[in-house]
Amino acid sequence: MSQNTKEIYHDHIVIRLIQFSLFWVIVAMAVGVYLAAEFIWPEIDFGQFWLSFGRIRPLHTNGIIFGFGVSALMATAFYSVQRTSHVPLFMPRLAWFCCYAWQLIILLGGLSLLAGWTSSKEYAELEWPFDIAIAIVWVCFGVVFFGTIANRRIRPIYVSNWFYGGLIIVIAMLHIVNNLAIPVTIGKSYSLYAGAQDAIVQWWYGHNAVGFLLTGGFLGMMYYFLPKQSGQPIWSYRLSVVSFWAFTYSYIWAGPHHLHFSAIPEWVQSLAMVMSLVLLAPSWASMINGIMTVSKAWERLRTDPALKFVVMSLAFYGLATFEGPMMAIRSVNVVSHFTDWTIGHVHSGALGWNAMITYGTFYYLVPKLVGRELYSTKMANLHFWLALAGTMLYVLSMWAAGVSQGLLWLSIDEYGQLSFSFREIMAAMSSYYGLRLIAGLIFFAGTILMTWNLFMTMRGQKTVEVTPPPVAEKYRINPSPKPAADHTGTEVPA
Amino acid sequence: MTQLTLINALLKPHLAFKEIAQVDSNAAKILQKIVPLLLLAPPIFVWLGSGLFGWRMGADEALFLDNTSRVIISFCYFIALSLGFFSTVFIAHWMGVTYGADKPLKVYFALITVVYFPFLIGSIAHIYPNAFFNLLVLLLTLIWCMTLLYKGLPVALEIPPERGMLMSSSLVAWLLVGAVSLLGISVGLWTIGIGPAIAV
Repeated sequence: MSQNTKEIYHDHIVIRLIQFSLFWVIVAMAVGVYLAAEFIWPEIDFGQFWLSFGRIRPLHTNGIIFGFGVSALMATAFYSVQRTSHVPLFMPRLAWFCCYAWQLIILLGGLSLLAGWTSSKEYAELEWPFDIAIAIVWVCFGVVFFGTIANRRIRPIYVSNWFYGGLIIVIAMLHIVNNLAIPVTIGKSYSLYAGAQDAIVQWWYGHNAVGFLLTGGFLGMMYYFLPKQSGQPIWSYRLSVVSFWAFTYSYIWAGPHHLHFSAIPEWVQSLAMVMSLVLLAPSWASMINGIMTVSKAWERLRTDPALKFVVMSLAFYGLATFEGPMMAIRSVNVVSHFTDWTIGHVHSGALGWNAMITYGTFYYLVPKLVGRELYSTKMANLHFWLALAGTMLYVLSMWAAGVSQGLLWLSIDEYGQLSFSFREIMAAMSSYYGLRLIAGLIFFAGTILMTWNLFMTMRGQKTVEVTPPPVAEKYRINPSPKPAADHTGTEVPA
Repeated sequence: MTQLTLINALLKPHLAFKEIAQVDSNAAKILQKIVPLLLLAPPIFVWLGSGLFGWRMGADEALFLDNTSRVIISFCYFIALSLGFFSTVFIAHWMGVTYGADKPLKVYFALITVVYFPFLIGSIAHIYPNAFFNLLVLLLTLIWCMTLLYKGLPVALEIPPERGMLMSSSLVAWLLVGAVSLLGISVGLWTIGIGPAIAV
């Protein structure tokens, strides 16, 4: 068919997005390491406002989530939606627009954060001009993605597309609703909501950004790339679809668990706690599906360093999705909230799950995209152990710091007075923060190795041109008409 | 069993794991005898340390608890360790089928005992319950335990190293979940009044 000789998948966009993702992970992780150092040596802000913790912390989080994470998700969504739909991207120029406009938003948005522009909403700090720009680019992302699915030549919509689709729709809804605000100047606006409502809307956004972007989006990545890497079909396709709907239904309720013991109604807190516990089931369904899929592909571990990252990412995904619901229990949260345990939890997800599955995917994808073997398998193996050691050290040091803090915040003497001051407790944490800095440096060193490895793999190579393969007759949309049958049911040749 | 002692298992783990893999050897029997020590010693160290030096969470003053609280905490620690140990043995046995292992339960029992043993050595640090000091010792212990797990599991279960790597990683996931559960349970007990007095 002519479609198979003329059409080419738009993989140039994919590789450019991967390059941007690698750029942002280096920048944002370097900022994270610097932040970790500021906890030990606060004077290294050198009295500059733009180097202060309050300004560069959102730069770190936004850089990782939206720079590294979203660029990786756009890249893998564009790559996989073409393959699972058997057509090139819908409106490729719009896809290029998404790619570059998104990077411009991250760059200018990051600078605006350093300049002190902030809405003060966590993970939604960017001010209203950026919010509008994000909404426009995100809708364009949706047009390209869903347009490609609408044009597909294969009837089933593979499960990874459900997760990516959920990411696009829900993040659009959350972003637009949470950022409704009245602008006052070009760099300042005030939220349309006030008081407890503002807090509830913010954490409806904040928790579901974690849910649908850092969990759902990356599950889309797992469901497409894990079977490809392992050469095995997903262990239970039915379980993956059930877990998608259960995940989508239950996640959206859980946000108010960030507001335990606050001014919001207690029933809202309790509901969020219960739904957080329910969430464990669909989360672990995907983990089990991943682990069982990869368990059949053990021979590939001999030659493929990428698969190790995916295996370990599933372990940390299991940890983070267990730990989250547990910390949502009010009697645990009363101690864990406002401590570094939360930071440990976030990083078991961010380093152990998001980064590792993305690194595994990049190690698999880049050589395929440029048609060349990975530059150094040894370097990738070394990276794996650095990533594992860094994550473990980070998580354990923050667990210990967090539990110590929780105990010390709440310790009272015989007169019912707090036993320790805030300053005393923070001073006591410096050893843990030292360990955290070492952990961050180890993880960062691994990431630099990977970037170099992938850069050398891509260097001087052109993107391989791939045409959509034909679709089997029984799955094809608008299959060729069946030959007519005579009255006995015997097919009559055309 | 020929020359296997627990110390040999730690110094020459490869040989020890090979011996564990022999179903008809009595390695498992010998290792079973030290399980009570593995499970009882750490809580005893906690009880001793919290009485002698008090919990040092990083602030200047140590937290001293009354003897009843210390006994309850140590007992809860014993229960948690026992649950962790036996559940890991049974889960490893259950997982083994998926990864192509065909060994009786006693082999898993011996394997987990050896993997767990560095923790017993590390738990001596509980006698001086300074949180950061214990964390440092725990980190070293953990590296040792994980090395034994990743290297020993495929040898003891006689499966290819790649399958061993997958199974070890699944067990690490289980152990991480177990560790964080221990934190959650501890905190939950504090909030209902067992353990240090906190203002909740």
